[in-house]
Amino acid sequence: METRKKFSLILLLLALLLAILPLSANRSFIVKPDKLLSDVLSKEVSFTVDQVAEFIVKEDSTVQLIDLRSPEEFRKQTIPGAVNIPYPDFIKKDPEIYLSNKNIKNIFYSNGGIESAYALVYTRGLGYKNSFVMEGGVSEWFRTILETKFTGERISARENALFETRKRAGNMFTELNNLPDSLKVKFLESKKFSKKKLDGGCE
Amino acid sequence: MAPLSSYFLFPEWLNLLIAFLIGTGFGFALEQAGFSSSRKLAGMFYGYDTTVLKVFFTAAIVALIGSQFLSYLGLLSLNQVYVNEFYVTAAIVGGIIMGAGFIMGGFCPGTGVCAMSIGKIDAMVFVAGGLAGAFIFAETYPIIQDLANTQFKGPVKINESLGLSPGLFTLIMVAAAAIMFWIAELAEKRFARPEITSEL
Repeated sequence: METRKKFSLILLLLALLLAILPLSANRSFIVKPDKLLSDVLSKEVSFTVDQVAEFIVKEDSTVQLIDLRSPEEFRKQTIPGAVNIPYPDFIKKDPEIYLSNKNIKNIFYSNGGIESAYALVYTRGLGYKNSFVMEGGVSEWFRTILETKFTGERISARENALFETRKRAGNMFTELNNLPDSLKVKFLESKKFSKKKLDGGCE
Repeated sequence: MAPLSSYFLFPEWLNLLIAFLIGTGFGFALEQAGFSSSRKLAGMFYGYDTTVLKVFFTAAIVALIGSQFLSYLGLLSLNQVYVNEFYVTAAIVGGIIMGAGFIMGGFCPGTGVCAMSIGKIDAMVFVAGGLAGAFIFAETYPIIQDLANTQFKGPVKINESLGLSPGLFTLIMVAAAAIMFWIAELAEKRFARPEITSEL
């Protein structure tokens, strides 16, 4: 057989193989179950609401908050700096779209903590070490950041710093959520998650 | 792992250096394959030499198959690979202009630069014409921008708009390429111009 015919045949066979391979083969879990369990149950994958409040106050650019709730809930109570990816959308798409930047800590949260825990297991299982959760979700955020007042006689320096951060984060939260609806929608639209525009191509 | 530039923060000069090396290799291969002769490229139009079709289509299907296997092996993340954006009207109008220039000049932009670098005067004129075209485009852009931006479809992939899986689409493409190559070889026999091809 001529070389060109052999070459064509090889390419055809490889393409046939690609057509048969399941589409999602490159999205299968790569972390072993016991390792995955111990990973997601460890303290290292979660942040407390206080830590998150600190990120917000400091405007830490290595952190991305991901709100897994519905768009309506998100519009009502928006934690500053968060982007909204409703949970059903999140699991439908390839997480690579959202988590491709390995230098950014992506912190999931939902109302309680169930969806965010699912999202954590899902993404950690796929091998994303840059996914985390906010403990307790939005309910914990309300309880700790907005509602807890200092009760006691003398405040230590450490507690003072903690309450200062809570107060500032709380103020940012209330300020953003008290914006008139039209302004807030505009603000959120401008912050919408946009995939990094890749440059290149051949022209 | 790949694309490398999105995993490692390459400095700009290294990105440009890699592009330069790849570009040099591409140019070298084009010149070695005889693509710096306008008669070889015109042969595609008249049917006596279809190397252009075979080479570029082979390159496309090899890349198509290779990138998907790399993606399956977890070595390449296809989400990070640039997908050209599709402006329907602009693609049609631009395609006609480029096709006309291609057959009149006897080069495509890449082979034009190749031929210019080995000192062909017609290629120098061709590249100058191409640059003039780019200049005119940029200068008249305010007038033609409505036309240029109509029917913008964003970075679409053919298989997605057809609802096919990437693998199946690849198979169809490879089969289509094999059939096209076969027809192309028949054309080479039918429209043979030995007095030209013997010199290429």
